[in-house]
Amino acid sequence: MLRVSAIAEQAGVPTSSLCCEGFLGQAKTTSVGLGYPNLALATVPGHVDVQTSDELRSNVLGTTVEHVIRNLTGEIASVQATADPDPQDIVFEGSFEEVNRLFLENGWSDGLPIVPPTKEKIAEFLAFTDLAPDHAIGKLLPDNRMATVWNVAVNGVMAGCRPEYMPILVALVEAMADPQYGVEHSGNTPGAETLIVLNGPLIKQLGFNYEQGALRDGFQPNTSIGRFWRLYLRNVAGFLLHQNDKGTFGNTWRVVMAENEDSLARMKWPTIAADMGAADRGAPAADSAVTISRFTGGNVIVSVFGDSAEKLLPYLGNALVTHSAWEVIFTVGMATGTYRPLLVLSPLIAETIAKTMTKQDVQNWLYENARMPAHLFEKYLWGWTNLVPGKRTLNDWVRLGKIPKVFAGNDPNRLVPVVTKPEHIMIAVSGDPLRSNCYLFVHNGMLGFPTTRSVRLPKGWRMKLSEAQG
Amino acid sequence: MARRNSGDYAVVWPRSAKAVEIKPLAKRLDTIEGKTIAFLWDDLFRGDEIWPILKQELGKRFTGVSFIDHDAFGSTHGDEEHRVLGELPGKIKSMNIDAVVSGMGC
Repeated sequence: MLRVSAIAEQAGVPTSSLCCEGFLGQAKTTSVGLGYPNLALATVPGHVDVQTSDELRSNVLGTTVEHVIRNLTGEIASVQATADPDPQDIVFEGSFEEVNRLFLENGWSDGLPIVPPTKEKIAEFLAFTDLAPDHAIGKLLPDNRMATVWNVAVNGVMAGCRPEYMPILVALVEAMADPQYGVEHSGNTPGAETLIVLNGPLIKQLGFNYEQGALRDGFQPNTSIGRFWRLYLRNVAGFLLHQNDKGTFGNTWRVVMAENEDSLARMKWPTIAADMGAADRGAPAADSAVTISRFTGGNVIVSVFGDSAEKLLPYLGNALVTHSAWEVIFTVGMATGTYRPLLVLSPLIAETIAKTMTKQDVQNWLYENARMPAHLFEKYLWGWTNLVPGKRTLNDWVRLGKIPKVFAGNDPNRLVPVVTKPEHIMIAVSGDPLRSNCYLFVHNGMLGFPTTRSVRLPKGWRMKLSEAQG
Repeated sequence: MARRNSGDYAVVWPRSAKAVEIKPLAKRLDTIEGKTIAFLWDDLFRGDEIWPILKQELGKRFTGVSFIDHDAFGSTHGDEEHRVLGELPGKIKSMNIDAVVSGMGC
């Protein structure tokens, strides 16, 4: 909404942005990042989702109309830019406790103690990249601040990372800045949280946990890099609660999930990075890579039982349908074809399935069999939400050419897929190698597809790593 | 912000400069009478109910005002967002739009 207004103002026409009462604060902070801190807002009292038609009409006529007229014709006070420190300036000297208090008071910390970002610590991180400290990685909305190698190192120090994690941190911020990822949506109300999946030799070189408890904090690389992600979103992209981060509930940041590549090699199944085409982006397949995707939540699929793929897959298919509800709006409608659930199989389950099936076979089976009745799908589209207007049926969407023909039909009880392509069901392998549980992540799909970046190592990596690990 | 004490840690700022200059807003209209107002919508939160109310009321108060509905542009949210925003400056010019109402932030 505000990006529209900024473009229109840039084009020379006045604007008025319609905003529910509870979102005025976010709108004001987002406006700053767009370069127009005084974008004119017209208030819609309360929230429209729970108002009757009469209440809505009364609110619009009683408040919104006047605001629109004022926004388009009245004088709006200009705003002056405030001076920011130079990133390399020392902004404070003090004890550990004083530094932490300052960072908390300024919103630069997540509530846990941070490691003070001194120039000495930052230099240790910079030694693990061949990029210059002022190398610009990209601009990050909504604050529209520049992501640089320097501030990657600063936030890596703060998060409790080790210097040798720096190549991964840089790759993560490159992925964050990729327009395909759509970082600007990270503050939306569903409050999804990013899952980072790591592939490649760095898993073992840096000591990531990829076995029992793979999604739990407790291992320094998994935990601290997960924390780095959220600190970087806060400090550089600008996602702070009660400002640009409007997650109704939100999630805590997730630890990095490393795949069990020993298991994948035994099965000859591709990694997530390979599925995402990491090797096609100019990097050898043996390189490490990070893949980012946001998930609103997930659930464990407990005690999956069976000695063959035929017995195991119905269990997984049922979980996929059961946990795909309003999320299917991103299969059809608001952002067509962007629903990409992630199944995480324990090696035990994956290797039992892999006796007779490739990963692609599994994706095809789930696409064909993990289906829901068309009438229920359409209920999610517009019966139980107001997110996709027009009350278009699945047949309408097929006629518009937005979704495959498999969704069309006359029987409301016909079964339809929850994704538009088999490969949109992502499958990873991690967790306790000798337990029969699986996990399913689902999400709102406003962030584009999952995004992968190869990790570039500095010259002399082996020697530097050896020295760092003592 | 800077406060200098003698202590163990000399720390830097964890943020970075804004990569966007603050720009002035467009000149406001002298009147809404006779002007063309476009509505751009993200297909969310009952904008399709609010816009008709706004149109009706503005039409009653200001003579000669005309409106361009959201379907002339497409959704400003979701998979059409980048295309619709990219086309907007050209459409503002070609459709002689004098002002824009954008919704919904909810």
